[in-house]
Amino acid sequence: MVNNTQTLAEQYYVKDEQVKTDEVAKPVEVKDVEKPKEAPSQEAVVEKIVEETTPIAPAVAAEKSSEVAPPAEASTEEPSSGSVEEENSEDQDAAEETPEIKLETAPADFRFPTTNQTRHCFTRYVEYHRCIATKGEDAPECDRFAKYYRSLCPGEWIDRWNEQRENGTFPGPL
Amino acid sequence: MKSKWLFLTIAPCDAAEPWQLGFQDAATPMMQGIIDLHHDIFFFLILILVFVSRILVRALWHFHYKKNPIPQRIVHGTTIEILRTIFPSIIPMFIAIPSFALLYSMDEVVVDPAITIKAIGHQWYRTYEYSDYNSSDEQSLTFDSYTIPEDDLELGQSRLLEVDNRVLVPAKSHIRIIVTPADVPHSWAVPSLGVKCDAVPGRLNQISISVQREGVYYGQCSEICGTNHAFTPIVVEAVPSKDYGSRVSNQLIPQTTGEASAEMKE
Repeated sequence: MVNNTQTLAEQYYVKDEQVKTDEVAKPVEVKDVEKPKEAPSQEAVVEKIVEETTPIAPAVAAEKSSEVAPPAEASTEEPSSGSVEEENSEDQDAAEETPEIKLETAPADFRFPTTNQTRHCFTRYVEYHRCIATKGEDAPECDRFAKYYRSLCPGEWIDRWNEQRENGTFPGPL
Repeated sequence: MKSKWLFLTIAPCDAAEPWQLGFQDAATPMMQGIIDLHHDIFFFLILILVFVSRILVRALWHFHYKKNPIPQRIVHGTTIEILRTIFPSIIPMFIAIPSFALLYSMDEVVVDPAITIKAIGHQWYRTYEYSDYNSSDEQSLTFDSYTIPEDDLELGQSRLLEVDNRVLVPAKSHIRIIVTPADVPHSWAVPSLGVKCDAVPGRLNQISISVQREGVYYGQCSEICGTNHAFTPIVVEAVPSKDYGSRVSNQLIPQTTGEASAEMKE
């Protein structure tokens, strides 16, 4: 065994000069393309979709509050209806300023390949706060760690840890 | 409308039906694998059942004390001993290999998921957190999911299966679900998705699913979690990822303005 291989701890240590790792979260659209090969059930599935559309409707209506107009409906109406409705939907869109969400989250981490993700969440939390400690309060490099731990940790845990950090009783290596 | 036909309205849903014997329709590759494995194993099961019952019945028939009071006294037969050692050791292999293959493929997460949903079990309701879109620790899309009491059910809704706020997931994308409770052990189980994951206090369990078709999937708590264990169902609604985006961002707007966080809670 040659000694120049890094240990995991060394690899993930937050250095003074941030090195870009290759595990930046990838956009999701790629996955939709590669899906068919791992879905043996798809032919069987297609015929199912048709009969499934009806029962969802009442719940959809109930969930959406009345003042928030769903953009999906607005967009389907646009081509068929007149200019009046088109204007309406545009007005609503402008009023709402729908934030376009990006489908991305904490990537699969090779350090935590098992079902138990408790340490994954904890490690991301610690990584973020060590990053903050090294780079300053709002360093843009740390944002992704923040996104990761917020995705992985229950809100209750984060609140508890934040409290512990304020009191100086946080058990992790900060 | 004849009320006896009302059960047809829930028939397309992926929920249990009265006197159901088989599986619910698979919606993930995982569940498809489970069903296929079940059928594979059943092939060997029936084969062994038929063979063993034939031997048993034959022995009882031919060695009846009236018919055959002094049976043949065979004490050794090399051929039959080899056969009855080899075959029973090969058959478990045919069962074990696909079984382990499925087990490990279900366990491992190979691709980066598109969204993470935290399913937090409480006595006796479920809280779901969508925190991928947060920019601070405070704001997150969080809602509680309570069962609908029997008196409030509308026609066509399933008793003890329907909830007020469903879990919204995008279809045909990889989803990570982090399962954990806030009090006692719970479980997050949806048969159609092939998922049953115990929620252990102080631990985060991850399951990764990829719903292959849009639909509404029903499940129930599978770990005795107290008096109202039977009243903590799970409803997953899979929508196209385009609709998922718009519906989640619709929910996020009141969160960012902050005025309607109470509205989410109700």
